[in-house]
Amino acid sequence: MFSCKSAALLLFLVGLTACGDNMFPSGTDKRPVIQSGSSGSSVTQKAPDFSVSDTNYATVTLASSLSGKKGAVIYFTMWCPVCDSHMSSMRTSIIPSFSDVNFFLVDYLSGSVAESAASASANGYAGGVFTTLVDINHTLTSNFNGTMGTTVVVDSAGIVRMNEDYRDGTNLRTILTALP
Amino acid sequence: MKQETLSIITAALLAGAATLFPAQSQAASCCGGGSAASLTVPKYATAVADLSFDAELYDGYWNQNRKHIADPSGSDLKQYRMNMGAGYRFATDWQTSISLPYIWNDNKYSGVSSQTNGLGDMTVSLTYELSDDNSAWKVRDIGDMIPGVSLGLSFLLPTGLSPYDNQESSFDITGRGFYRLDGTLLIEKTIRPWNISLALAYGTYLERSINREYGKYVEPYKKDLGDRFSASLSTGYTYILGTGGDSIAGSVSYTYMKEADASFNGKRDSGSGFDKQSLGLAVTYSNNDSNWSIRTGWNHAVKQNGWGQNFPTTNVLSVGVRYVFL
Repeated sequence: MFSCKSAALLLFLVGLTACGDNMFPSGTDKRPVIQSGSSGSSVTQKAPDFSVSDTNYATVTLASSLSGKKGAVIYFTMWCPVCDSHMSSMRTSIIPSFSDVNFFLVDYLSGSVAESAASASANGYAGGVFTTLVDINHTLTSNFNGTMGTTVVVDSAGIVRMNEDYRDGTNLRTILTALP
Repeated sequence: MKQETLSIITAALLAGAATLFPAQSQAASCCGGGSAASLTVPKYATAVADLSFDAELYDGYWNQNRKHIADPSGSDLKQYRMNMGAGYRFATDWQTSISLPYIWNDNKYSGVSSQTNGLGDMTVSLTYELSDDNSAWKVRDIGDMIPGVSLGLSFLLPTGLSPYDNQESSFDITGRGFYRLDGTLLIEKTIRPWNISLALAYGTYLERSINREYGKYVEPYKKDLGDRFSASLSTGYTYILGTGGDSIAGSVSYTYMKEADASFNGKRDSGSGFDKQSLGLAVTYSNNDSNWSIRTGWNHAVKQNGWGQNFPTTNVLSVGVRYVFL
């Protein structure tokens, strides 16, 4: 007999199926087909231009970030433990092997250059191998759909080679190694 | 109601409350969602209903080197949780429970602010009571020293919003996106008015496929989080109010939690694990006539170097109410 309890249980289970992709994870590749030569944040697209200040009040643009290098890595940080583990991993395992690539941290939380510089310093990332960009107007965040841990690689021609969450550095290393 | 029955109910209510507070807080808008603690149905009751509210206040984090780092200047990071739970005893020594949090993230930095909310990760539990605690007033023989021992299985379901949903910002996250199966062991002993309990849990996540991160589809891969161990030791004192059997119980607790490194496509991601130590205080008022109890608690992560690694430092303030169905 279909009781009220059964109906409530069924309703509950149906409700759970609406909880997103986590209940039934998918391994299907659903990456959209990208039109060649288009501009945007997806891999193979031409990276959108930007102009932001770094923590030394110098202006950094897409062109200047790539100048004289094989490419640029742009990592979005919120000065949190997950970010620290990623940045620490990059600093010790990736950056020493790629002197021909610029590495940037994007601080999209601070409302001023001074505050961003203070955060970079407090977290141990000031004046080192990273240049911290202060995304006060959220230009970079918007251009690259960035959030905590987003890691973008742009090659010297301005083409996006990677745009994904930082994992263990394996993908990043592979992509940087393959830069022309 | 006889005094003996009142005492049993009081002890049972307190035992239930005691197992709720040592639970590890694990929510963070930067690090993935919260989960409510499992519930305990008192031995002589058939069910419990529980509602609690947590306010988790963020106060920096421990980095890779176990050094405490302050949050950015001008930031104010909070998470609020409403935990709804129910437990049911379906046999003399067996019980099951379910708990579900609803989460509000409230993050303010000098350059951005965000308020989001959503369902958290749900927990269902099955517990077997291996031995009962007689909760003696005085130890007369060795039998009075036998502790209550419970073994359990707890299953965490990823009902919250995770980075692998269609959420574009980490501020929206209310869950970690993984199933986890925990084995639990609870040992507790009451020699009135004192009690002590030890709660142990070991859990393993189920590896999952991922094809989307923060709303962006990516090349599919497999990810697994590291095994999680937690241990919580608490001790408390119960003060009986007057002759009616109402009581106030206070407890202090110490909790250690560690999660091992995650892995991607089967390869360990060194440095991604974390650990945390915290201290807790809890006060519970129990009323025998109406079978309810109210409680408040404070879970404090010590803001000092060495008390954690790769994890946020937080204070959790809690209030809760529980009703026991006899």
